[in-house]
Amino acid sequence: MSEIAAKAVVSPRRLRLARFLPYLLLQILIVIVTMLGLRLLEPRDPDNFAVSEFSLREAGSTRQVTLPHFTASRYSLADPPLYSGKFVFKSDSTNRIDANTTWSVFLPRFSNGVEIAVNGVALLDSRRDPSANRPDRNTPEIAVIPASLLREGSNDITVRLFVWGPLRGFLDTVYVGPDDALRPAYETRTLLFVTLPVVFSAWQSILAVILAIMWLMRRHEPVYGVLAAAMVLGVVQAFLTLPVPPATSSRLAGVLLSSAPLESALIVASAVLFLGWRWPRYGVLLFVPGLIVIAGGLIAGPPLPRILFMLLGIPTVGFCLVLMAGIAAHAALRRQDVVSFALGCAATIVLTCWAHDMLSVFEIMPNERTFVSRLSYSALLIAIGAGLTWRFARALNQVDSFAGQLVARVREAEERLKASFVREEARARAAALANERTRLMRDLHDGLGGQLISIVALSERGQEGAPITDAARAALKDLRLVIDSMDDIGGDLMLALGSWRERAAMQLRPHDIALDWRVATPQGLPLHPELRPWHVIQIVRILDEAVTNAVKHAAARHIIVTIETRDDGQGPYGVISVADDGRGFALGDEGEAAGVNHTARGLRNMRSRATRCGAVLDLNSDTSGTEVRLQLPKVFPDSDVAAG
Amino acid sequence: MADQGDTGEAITILLVEDDAPTCWRLQDALKKAGYDARTAGSLGEARSALAGGAPRVLLTDLRLPDGHGVELIREVRRRFPETEIMVISALGDEESVISAITVGATGYLLKDAFPTDIATTVRDLVAGHSPISASIARFIVRRTQNSAEPPPGPVLNTAKLTPREIDILWGIAKGFSYAEIAGHLGLSRQTVPGHIKNIYRKLEVHTRSEAVFEAVQQGLIKL
Repeated sequence: MSEIAAKAVVSPRRLRLARFLPYLLLQILIVIVTMLGLRLLEPRDPDNFAVSEFSLREAGSTRQVTLPHFTASRYSLADPPLYSGKFVFKSDSTNRIDANTTWSVFLPRFSNGVEIAVNGVALLDSRRDPSANRPDRNTPEIAVIPASLLREGSNDITVRLFVWGPLRGFLDTVYVGPDDALRPAYETRTLLFVTLPVVFSAWQSILAVILAIMWLMRRHEPVYGVLAAAMVLGVVQAFLTLPVPPATSSRLAGVLLSSAPLESALIVASAVLFLGWRWPRYGVLLFVPGLIVIAGGLIAGPPLPRILFMLLGIPTVGFCLVLMAGIAAHAALRRQDVVSFALGCAATIVLTCWAHDMLSVFEIMPNERTFVSRLSYSALLIAIGAGLTWRFARALNQVDSFAGQLVARVREAEERLKASFVREEARARAAALANERTRLMRDLHDGLGGQLISIVALSERGQEGAPITDAARAALKDLRLVIDSMDDIGGDLMLALGSWRERAAMQLRPHDIALDWRVATPQGLPLHPELRPWHVIQIVRILDEAVTNAVKHAAARHIIVTIETRDDGQGPYGVISVADDGRGFALGDEGEAAGVNHTARGLRNMRSRATRCGAVLDLNSDTSGTEVRLQLPKVFPDSDVAAG
Repeated sequence: MADQGDTGEAITILLVEDDAPTCWRLQDALKKAGYDARTAGSLGEARSALAGGAPRVLLTDLRLPDGHGVELIREVRRRFPETEIMVISALGDEESVISAITVGATGYLLKDAFPTDIATTVRDLVAGHSPISASIARFIVRRTQNSAEPPPGPVLNTAKLTPREIDILWGIAKGFSYAEIAGHLGLSRQTVPGHIKNIYRKLEVHTRSEAVFEAVQQGLIKL
């Protein structure tokens, strides 16, 4: 008993374990692929033109540094760290068609802002570029150095690095060289870190619109509303330009910074709802860090919101990602469906990238500050979009199959209705017939029947009454046949033959003729739902005629009635035969009895009756007796086949 | 040739029939077979005849000048439970026979039956063998099938019949002899007539009000 219970408990657990291992392996594989992908996708910079030896003047002291270089975190833009270096310009006119080759200075990565000057002339201030001010976007900068500024030989380059905390400032290697050589690297970085995020933000805005419409149409499914809110937050965050920190609108910056933790909390909530689980009450706690960052941004000025974001926002995002991965894994193991798998994989990708970013924030991965979380978030967006589409398509399929089922069911019901209508009609007809029969029977019983009985009784008293008695009895017999055949026998001809046997036995008893009744099987004859009273009358009259002939003309001592069902492979049919041991009669041409007129007429009658109900009559007669063999049709005809 | 009751006296029969020739004819046949057959032409005559004591067998027509045979059958069934009752019918139709059975008759006799058949039927009835025709059996078994709506004709409660009894009725309806039925069903041939009497007894309606209600329903009694 307990063993069975233990087994019952263990087996689903085992099953889940058996599913969990491959899932885990898949996620590990995805982590590896993601890391490899990050390595491969990292843009190659033109190392020939690197300028990395600088002297840094920071906080009054000067020292030699090699780029890439991290500076201390700062909260003031005044007196920024100043990097001064030299590069050599050679107008290599012999090798070039155009002597005035354009040279540029290219900064692949810096945080948070730079001002570049060559030979004391400022070329570029990145603070003017809104997208460059976002530390989460790895915006590169390139500036063309006017030819007039360049001197043959050594030139000076200075970079002022503006840093606003709490992150430490970072300046990657600076590249100075021919524009043609630098431009491709710049373009690649712009594509990856500026254009692609915009594309994804556009995709996110489309999702936001679709989800909002979905939610408006289906208010009872809050998952769409929650997801739409997350998407809207993301879009606003992506497209609103971040002001340069000293600006007065820093409160707005605080609000914008808080969007990431809020957005991730919303995504987790929508995942829970999407998978059909209940959102727990303590789930509200997930939104608290985001709200604290907002509050900090609204109440206090910078740099508090940024510090709060670092301390609360980023861990919250990470926590949400872990939650997301856990939820998706659980759903994937439970349901084994495409959506859960896709969500799980996407969550793993984003989580890997988040971990990568954390490593670079804490400078565990040296010489690098490329943030990829935001970019990888697009994987999750794609998964969400795919999941929604998949769900929508499946719902449509369900509607289709439901409609199909409905059509099939309606058709079925229609057919049943038709059948029941036919049945009802048949039943009503049978009921009408039965009523009529009852009425007729009462009438005949009280009138004609009684009078015939009286005739029998009266004629039996006189000596010459015998023919009258016989006539009256025959009339009574026929009357009983007519009444009997009107009864609904449900297509079972045996029921009519049962009554006929009684009447025939009664008829034969005074003549001392034995009636031998042989039925091959208890069922006797096949059922014929199409059997109508007039078929029954014809068949019974044929049998009556056969018996009457045997009594009146053949002087028989035995009559054998054989009833059997035959089947020649095309459906069963009945055969009834009436055989006597009388002296028989001579058959003329075409099987007509010669001589006795009455017999001939009787035979003709029998044949025409048989033809009318689709039966085949066979007649064999010789001196040892007569056999009338009636082969019933497989299906009785609806109306008279031939006029008698 | 005379049939004797247990006491050694001739079996007494009360024959109630208003059509004089038929009455004579039946009486002749019964007398020739050695029965003590008295006749009555109406319900009133029958009642006065019954005052003199219970007959062994009651044969009655249903339509009588001063009433309906169903009333007489019901009365006799109540007062003299030992009396065997048969209804005399012109056509042997289920309309008359079944309504007689529901008030206590256990057989029927055709008015034009041959004298020998008349004697045999009465003898069998006294011996406990109730006659049944194929059409009566058919009527009863078809009532056991159709349950959707009450079919026309007399009301009949077939709920008490056992599957075996219904099988026997099917056999009779299809024209099989008792021996053949016994063979098909694995019974002994002698038990079949007993089953038929049981069937009749089960179809009898036992309360008077029920019987009157059904008779009124069937239009047999006019109030």
